[in-house]
Amino acid sequence: MYSKIVRNDMANSKLITCMTTLFVAAAAMLITLSAVLIVHLSGAIDTLMKQAETSHFLQMHSGAIDQARLTEFAEHHDRVDEFQINEFLNVDGAKISIAGTTLAHSVQDNGFSTQSEKFDYLLDLDGHAIEVANGDIYIPVGYLKDGTAKLGDTMMVNNKTFTIAGFLRDSQMNSMLASSKRFLVSEEDYTAIQKAGTIEYLIEFRLKNLSDLKDFEEAYIRAGLEANGPTITFSLFKMLNALSDGLMLAVILLISILVVAIAFMCIRFTLHTKIEEDYREIGVMKAIGIRVVDIQKMYLAKYGVIAVIGCVLGFAFSFLLRDLLLENIRLYMGETDNTSLVWIITIIGLLLVFITVMAYVQSVLKQFRKLSATQAIRFGTTYGKARHANYLNLSSNKMLPINLFLGMKDVLSRKRLYATMLTVLLLATFIIIVPQNLYNTISAKSFITYMGIGNSDIRIDIPQGNQNAQHVAAVVKTLERDTAITDYTVLTTKKFTTIASDGAEESLKIELGDHTIFPVEYALGRVPVAQNEIALSVLNAQELHLKVGDVIPLVINGEKNNLTVSGIYSDITNGGKTAKAAFSDRSAESMWSVVYGTMANPSQVEEKITEYVDTFHFAKVSGINHYINQTFGTTIHSIGKVSIAALVMALLLCVLVTLLFMNMLIAKDQTSIAIMKSVGFTNVDISKQYIARSVFVLLLAIVMGTFLANTLGEFLTSMVIASFGAAAFEFTINPLAAYVFCPLAIISVVLVATLLGTLRAGQLKIMDHIKE
Amino acid sequence: MKKLVSGEQITKSFQVGNEQHHVLTNVSVDLYEGEFVSIMGPSGCGKSTLLYALSGMDSIDRGRVMFDGMDLTSLSDKELADLRRTRMGFVFQQPTFLKSLNILDNILLPAMRDQRKNVVALTETAKNIMKKMGIVDLAKRDITQVSGGQLQRAGICRALISKPQLIFGDEPTGALNSTSAQEIMDLLASINTEGTTVMLVTHDPKIAARTERILFMCDGAIVNEMRLPRFTGAGLEDRMIAITAKMREIGI
Ligand SMILES: Nc1ncnc2c1ncn2[C@@H]1O[C@H](COP(=O)(O)OP(=O)(O)O)[C@@H](O)[C@H]1O
Ligand SMILES: [Mg+2]
Repeated sequence: MYSKIVRNDMANSKLITCMTTLFVAAAAMLITLSAVLIVHLSGAIDTLMKQAETSHFLQMHSGAIDQARLTEFAEHHDRVDEFQINEFLNVDGAKISIAGTTLAHSVQDNGFSTQSEKFDYLLDLDGHAIEVANGDIYIPVGYLKDGTAKLGDTMMVNNKTFTIAGFLRDSQMNSMLASSKRFLVSEEDYTAIQKAGTIEYLIEFRLKNLSDLKDFEEAYIRAGLEANGPTITFSLFKMLNALSDGLMLAVILLISILVVAIAFMCIRFTLHTKIEEDYREIGVMKAIGIRVVDIQKMYLAKYGVIAVIGCVLGFAFSFLLRDLLLENIRLYMGETDNTSLVWIITIIGLLLVFITVMAYVQSVLKQFRKLSATQAIRFGTTYGKARHANYLNLSSNKMLPINLFLGMKDVLSRKRLYATMLTVLLLATFIIIVPQNLYNTISAKSFITYMGIGNSDIRIDIPQGNQNAQHVAAVVKTLERDTAITDYTVLTTKKFTTIASDGAEESLKIELGDHTIFPVEYALGRVPVAQNEIALSVLNAQELHLKVGDVIPLVINGEKNNLTVSGIYSDITNGGKTAKAAFSDRSAESMWSVVYGTMANPSQVEEKITEYVDTFHFAKVSGINHYINQTFGTTIHSIGKVSIAALVMALLLCVLVTLLFMNMLIAKDQTSIAIMKSVGFTNVDISKQYIARSVFVLLLAIVMGTFLANTLGEFLTSMVIASFGAAAFEFTINPLAAYVFCPLAIISVVLVATLLGTLRAGQLKIMDHIKE
Repeated sequence: MKKLVSGEQITKSFQVGNEQHHVLTNVSVDLYEGEFVSIMGPSGCGKSTLLYALSGMDSIDRGRVMFDGMDLTSLSDKELADLRRTRMGFVFQQPTFLKSLNILDNILLPAMRDQRKNVVALTETAKNIMKKMGIVDLAKRDITQVSGGQLQRAGICRALISKPQLIFGDEPTGALNSTSAQEIMDLLASINTEGTTVMLVTHDPKIAARTERILFMCDGAIVNEMRLPRFTGAGLEDRMIAITAKMREIGI
């Protein structure tokens, strides 16, 4: 008997049943999708790092190296499991070309390596350590992704020809955020091209126990071993690997949570409306002696069917979308080992949705027990009488056209009813604006200032060498004379010694110069200006246990000075451990220098770079736009895609919810509509009233949604960004998009949906709804 | 006297499932300005349907309805609505009010659509009518806070707010006790005296006895009619007896 009632009921309210099913499906899809993505990303990163046996501690070093001393340190340090020194042959991009295109404009340090012996393997796309034949070369997978190279292309390195035999995953330098890229060649070929570049050493350790990393790091520094270059640890490798896809994942997760919230609100709303419609019937059933439990069973059966169908549909959709979203992760990091975990999580997600829907229905159904039969039959409504907005009286309204007045009055009289629509539209606005603002922010040039890089046009890197000072002078002289250059600054990094709180000496790399010209974004405090001020990167501040205003002792020009921490900034360059100061120093030797410059006419940057590449053969010249493109390009691109998907989905949700809502509203309001028509209101009047209600709710929603997006949304995003190392984050808003196009898009789809949804109101027959 | 409404050969049926259910068959009826008419007949014979057809609130299958020289069947929905709002008034058996408006606002509703700027004068008019109906103190009340009889009076006030030429009532006293019903009839009679045409549906001889022309319906057709002189306050009992006798004679 129940199945028959359920089937009849579904057939009678097709629209509501369809919508409810769709919402369950959307919730199920997003929950499983996010779960799968999280498992995949973290699993794939773990798998990659396990297969490659990523170093726990990497010290990059250029210049002279004492291998025997390092080996002795490694042998005598009981925490060390394995130790090796890899070479990285850094070759100027101009000397490398892939399929005829030179890498002169690459912002990456492109270099060559042979396969490691003990760990830190370079893997092929199947996750195996590559064995490379003479004449063959394996290149970083990023170059496949961005279309630079394809299998079988030829590659020229300083007049030697290689064939691209495959692509490699480099667990340490995969991420475009890591500045070096390793190309894999055979031992023989490596020796052949050795003269083309300079050798950098990768001093790598694997520890017996990863948790000892911090102690080991301190021991390494204290031992005064080779350290001319960035130090990178296992956790930073992991973070770099997670960054580009993690940001996208975070956005998808945020959207998912909101859409699930919307889905549940709509389920609640349809349920309430449906039950309200059935109220009288339930009363009658009760009156003729059917037990409440039986009635509840009937509803549960009905929603059980809806929930199962919804979950199955959602699962199917998520299956279709899964590959699209996983493409990037699969390419860069491969598969996860945990396919079974993916299934388990998917099933748990689906069960969760199912159980929540059912629990929700159950809790709504509890009202039945309290319902008295006579009350239901006589009044037929769960909500009490409408509470009026008494302050809005027709008799004291001269201003508003009557249809607008009646529309607004209705919204204010039935706040609870419209709250659902308001919340949904508000969340939709939020879903549209937050990813869009995020996209704008990270694609804005100024975003790199959150990552520890000043916002300029051109960047000239001058590496270490005994001619460093002359080289810098040459660059400065050229820039000074060049009228196209409006502003420039030289930042030179030197190594100093500081005394940590526990009394131990530690070395600290400090970037000296004027940091006010191209400032980075400070999470706390401000840029160092005075001789006795210093700013620290977040990682360094944590390590040295220093806050803004604290004092740090430093040996400068052979004397001990006390510097004050003026600010803390986030940085992803040079292993994240950097410091900035403005004091003058003559004693310490320069490690490297960077010259930043801006141009009067930014459109000439490309030309200028080509010119400088020729002039400064000793330096690496790159454009910041280029840098952003190559480092954050993939991330920006995927966030862009997500933000468009969010827009489309949110608009779709708006349409669905408005249609649903208007439909139900008209069902509820049939009598009122008939009354209005009977006293001479036209169909157009009625439509206008519904549009007035819609627009009133919509405007409120857009204003509140935009406000929330720019406050709460910014806060949430900054938390996500902060977890990747950047801090003090603020949205860069494109006002035209955020305040004009988005609202317009929402308004137009909601209006169309309102018109479509209220078409029925005009066709309603007065007689059918006013019975004598 | 001028003909205000004339129904010519009205035919109307409803689709019930797969069957055509004939409700009105070739009904013709004329209504003259200033008349006070009632329609009587057993439940389900098509009285309401005829009233809705004459007022243009519902469409008809065949025939024609003329209102003051206009053919209602040829008017658009909008023109019909305009007519209803400006020249006709309706009173229903069950009160039909918007729950979100108070009594005064409900009464003002039809007039405010076109004369919003005139709200002060309109409110004045509304209060005057309400005073006459004895509900002026209830102006600010919600529709749930007054009795059925009071609501019915408010319904008449709303029907009168636009100073219509013609008032239709579909069993306007059907939900009221006898005393209240007679009071409502007093009001309608006084409106009629002032020149408004009134047409009512009722199955109560005591109500019909207040009117001057009574149409008897049976099975979707007008089967008979009788005329009575203007009611002056005396002899209600006799008029009732006459009506009942007539009904028995026709067999309804
Ligand atoms: N919308 C409708 N659909 C089908 N049948 C209807 C509809 N409205 C009225 N009827 C039928 O038409 C007949 C006349 O109805 P009505 O005019 O309301 O009768 P009365 O007012 O005389 O009691 C009745 O038999 C009724 O069942
Ligand atoms: Mg009737």
